[in-house]
Amino acid sequence: MIVADKKPVEEIIEFVKDNKKILILGCNECVTVCEAGGKKEVGVLASTLRMYFLNQGKEAKIDEITLERQCDHEYLEEIRDVADEYDAIVSLACGVGVQFMAEKYHSVPIYPGVNTCFLGATEERGLWTERCQACGNCMLGITGGICPVSRCAKRILNGPCGGSSKGKCEINKDLDCAWQLIIDRLKALDRLDDYEKICPIKDWSTDRAGGPRKVVREDVQI
Amino acid sequence: MDLKRKLETKDFAILAEIEPPKGSDIAAMVNNAAKVKEEVTAFVIPEMSNAVMRMSALGAAMVLEAKRMETVMQVCCRDRNRIALQADLLAASACGINNVMAVTGEDPSFGDHHQAAAVYDIDIDELLKTIQGLEKGKDMAGIELSGSPDFTVGSMVNSGLEGTDLDREIDAMKRKIDAGVRFFITPPLFDVSAIEPFMNKINTSGIHIIPTVVLLKSLGMARYMARNMKHVYIPDELVKRIQKAPDKVRECIRIAKESVSAVKKNGFSGAMISTIGWEDRLYDIIHGI
Repeated sequence: MIVADKKPVEEIIEFVKDNKKILILGCNECVTVCEAGGKKEVGVLASTLRMYFLNQGKEAKIDEITLERQCDHEYLEEIRDVADEYDAIVSLACGVGVQFMAEKYHSVPIYPGVNTCFLGATEERGLWTERCQACGNCMLGITGGICPVSRCAKRILNGPCGGSSKGKCEINKDLDCAWQLIIDRLKALDRLDDYEKICPIKDWSTDRAGGPRKVVREDVQI
Repeated sequence: MDLKRKLETKDFAILAEIEPPKGSDIAAMVNNAAKVKEEVTAFVIPEMSNAVMRMSALGAAMVLEAKRMETVMQVCCRDRNRIALQADLLAASACGINNVMAVTGEDPSFGDHHQAAAVYDIDIDELLKTIQGLEKGKDMAGIELSGSPDFTVGSMVNSGLEGTDLDREIDAMKRKIDAGVRFFITPPLFDVSAIEPFMNKINTSGIHIIPTVVLLKSLGMARYMARNMKHVYIPDELVKRIQKAPDKVRECIRIAKESVSAVKKNGFSGAMISTIGWEDRLYDIIHGI
């Protein structure tokens, strides 16, 4: 899932401090799971803003809506009739949702309410860690299901580097060395021969080297 | 006279683009430059233009500077992060390179290494501010330097844009001027009147506009540029002139020579001659201007 973190409220206040009608728009997908932009967080942010305006002696109407998704036209259409009523919309979706909103609703400013961080997993309640950088050319099949692109600090494809010590990365002793994980995994799978193979130089054109990317699937297009 | 002084004294500067070699053999590059070193104020060394891998601008500029030929080293943000950019700027200064040009750089997909990852750790405005910072004796981390460079800084400006696009370009140009840019190189100019809308909109006080003069290599190239490069104006008469000429290359050289003269006559600070790989023809273009 896309993992996001809450934006500092001071930053959001700076966006909306001069507005009188504000919509806080949550998303029921990834940002709900990572507890940054779901219905609960919409409520918390709305209350915080109400308190801010109250303390400032200003009047402001803060509404709350949480959509199923903000990255699909059909769900964004649900606020078609009300969007223009607001001076500002704070979207708690990931960067995709914020941009899709801005593309759809031109007359009202859309502000991000979260910082979109990475593609990751919930390791435990309150702890999300990166697992994928969406490089567009997945190599997990040859690395035992552990991604050196997202999990090795140096993105080394033929690791480990000299900084691996006791299974930990040199940049942080709490961080597992991705290549130690890969070796351990391949060993457990009795596939250490794969580790001996030199990984070819990666094609980054599927990453960001070719500019913004798109996936076209003619077989599912209408 | 060096470029900085030429610009200060409003003496017409002739810049000539010299592509570094695709390989380690510098003989052709050095020979081509040496043939015109008396006429050329400084050689502009592109930083892997069109994202085609070749010798770095720093390396090629060092080679020419070592042979007492002044250079303008281009720097772009595509291939290096802020650490490497600063390191190379310091190296350039230490090796006698006194002119740098900040350029955006084309995406790797334009070049011959399509699979390369682009860096773009910082953008061109930040690069220019970084250069200013280095000149003031501090790196991007705010750490004091032992010795600081003193560059004459240039950049590009797309003077061929129109309407709001041109307004935006001029806004960007102002930001670059604030960040220390003193000379701007324009896209190829084949008719001096084509740059007038741009010149009428800018304040040239304290800055220098240096149009590019491109050597057309063939009728096909002239036609292609006329049809496909919307920011470059090539008059139909020019294309017809090449078409009618019995020796088309000679005619193209004559056109380039005339363009440099026209740029000089119209009071520009200089001309930047680009031969796109035909550096051995530089002498024919420049000699006698």
